[in-house]
Amino acid sequence: MIIEMVRLRILGPRDRLGDVFDALQDLGVMHLAEPAAPASGVSPVELTTAQRREQRQLRRARDHVERALAGLGVRAGPAARAARAAPRATRSDFARWARLGWRVRRATERLATRETTLQDERALILKYQQFFGAFRALLESQSRWPSATAYHVLLRGGETEALIRLRGSLRELIGDAFELYSQPLPSGEIALLIVVAAPAAPQVERILAQARVQEIPVPASYGGGALTEAIPRMLARLSDLPAEVAALRRERARLGQDHGAELRRARAGLADRLAELEALPLSAVTARAFVIEGWAPARSRSLVEERLAAGFGDAVVVTEVGKEDWASADAPVVLSNPRLLRPFELLIRLLPLPRYGTIDPTPFVAVFFPAFFGLMVGDIGYGLLLGVLALVLRRRSKPGSTLRSAAEIAGACAVFTVLAGALFGELFGDLGRHWLGLRPIAFNREEALIPFLILAVSLGAVHVVLGLALGVAANIRHHPRHALGRGMSLAMIVAIISALLAAVHVLPDALLTPAVIVLLVAFPVLIAAEGVVAPIELLSTVGNVLSYARIMALGVASVMLAVVANRMVGAIGSVAVGVVFALLFHLVNFAIALFSPTIHALRLHYVEFFGKFYSPGGVRYQPFGHWTREATR
Amino acid sequence: MEAFGVVLAAALAVGLPALATAWAQSRIGPAIAASMAEKPELGTTAILMIAIPETMVILGFVVSVLILFRGAA
Repeated sequence: MIIEMVRLRILGPRDRLGDVFDALQDLGVMHLAEPAAPASGVSPVELTTAQRREQRQLRRARDHVERALAGLGVRAGPAARAARAAPRATRSDFARWARLGWRVRRATERLATRETTLQDERALILKYQQFFGAFRALLESQSRWPSATAYHVLLRGGETEALIRLRGSLRELIGDAFELYSQPLPSGEIALLIVVAAPAAPQVERILAQARVQEIPVPASYGGGALTEAIPRMLARLSDLPAEVAALRRERARLGQDHGAELRRARAGLADRLAELEALPLSAVTARAFVIEGWAPARSRSLVEERLAAGFGDAVVVTEVGKEDWASADAPVVLSNPRLLRPFELLIRLLPLPRYGTIDPTPFVAVFFPAFFGLMVGDIGYGLLLGVLALVLRRRSKPGSTLRSAAEIAGACAVFTVLAGALFGELFGDLGRHWLGLRPIAFNREEALIPFLILAVSLGAVHVVLGLALGVAANIRHHPRHALGRGMSLAMIVAIISALLAAVHVLPDALLTPAVIVLLVAFPVLIAAEGVVAPIELLSTVGNVLSYARIMALGVASVMLAVVANRMVGAIGSVAVGVVFALLFHLVNFAIALFSPTIHALRLHYVEFFGKFYSPGGVRYQPFGHWTREATR
Repeated sequence: MEAFGVVLAAALAVGLPALATAWAQSRIGPAIAASMAEKPELGTTAILMIAIPETMVILGFVVSVLILFRGAA
């Protein structure tokens, strides 16, 4: 559900405005808003020039601190929470934090640049090492060619044509006065050693430049010249590099140890002061008084009143703004559901939040999403595997994290998958039937395609009708005409289904005539309420119901793949090979079963179900409070 | 011969929508990937956009099953 909010107005003497903001920040429950329609003589607070300058400086300081923390790899931890209890930061704290942030940021950037340079140097030496390994014998005999110049070239793997072209160009230009050796390297590249007579060197260099091949001359830092002389120096350097990288990492760790905690405090302190400066223009003042307005959960109203009364006595007054004076679309939204349903809020948060005063679909998603998933996968074996996966993920995730919610949703899906598996008598396809004598309680999905189709479409009808009913409930107060249209659509869908069932003798024949009468009455009312596009929307609603046939389609595909996997054991000559193939196939089917049903169950909710009642565009509840990691998201 | 016709019809009923779905997804996929590169928050829309054309092949599959059952009857 969407929790009830109240709009509060706080009035007090102007000289206490800063203290009241501090108290509200400590409370952390008010979502501040501009005062509605300020009276004459009341004007919004504008930041002074000094405050604007302070804001700019603090933003720069926060940027330095954030980058320094990122460079140190420090995560938000207990220090962020400890900052709540800490005394408020002073100007000297901000100045100190700005200097510290800048200094540590510079240091971490310097360390990162140095480490990148060392890693690049290591990669370069390894490349030379490979090159040297490929032509060791030739390079060592280089001293026998005193009047020759050697070029070391690397070609990307597969560039054999470039090699042929290069050889052709060299022959054309300098005849046979060159030797070209090529050798594939373990990295996939092709190493080329070109030895030419010294007088032809300028021409060869021009050809290499035109061919845009990667020449790797011996760097000057290793003495340049012959590779045979440079290689020992390079190898010595290679053995030194890990120690240098380790030293850099130690230095970074030491910086983290020395300044990490203080930087975390700085991040929280700077964010708090910036939040206060950003909140100030949301208040309004007269010559002597101030007014602050904002939203708070209804259950927190007394807390705000008590805390302000305790801090300021009668000087500060808290009143509630009447509901007739604010638009529900402006109120922030907080979803609040029982513990069991809460993980499914994740699936709602993937969309824009529902508007305040509309319906939170979480409880419905919590029932139908795992049910649809279960019916699509419908296998005890896959359900148990998914359950194990969900348990592992839950154990490895932090409470309240997205991963934890996903793990708990997966757990619910696993339960429904096992239940549906029992219903269809499936354990890794037909393996349970053959080995354990498992029998379907409802029907066998391999054969009973039509009953499965009827089940899927019936579920779709229930889901869509529920969506239309929620649409009526959501609109009845503010948009009665729209609610009437939704109600007529609902009546017509029920009438169409009843008429069809009566026509095929599933329902009593006597229902056919009343159903047709309902259709004839509801149709003109629907057009009157929703306009001429209403019949098209009605058709699309019928299409929505049929869209649930995907539950059957994916379910059948899933069981058929599992059956094919089991048949591999007998189909391939060796039993052992067959078992391996069967296991691999089951693994692939399980992976498909994780993704495809999730996407289709989501789609059935977002398109077919939510389309009937969901009103997106809710404002996220962002209480004015102290810095937390969540507040930065 | 009649059995061949039934099987062919069933194959076409699922095959043609499958091709259409593949074509639609081949257009949607790159477009949504490009959009997500600029706006990662479009992830949910991406899921929906990719899943929407699959309705064609799913309904084609249902029709195909119905054809096969009718042919068998």
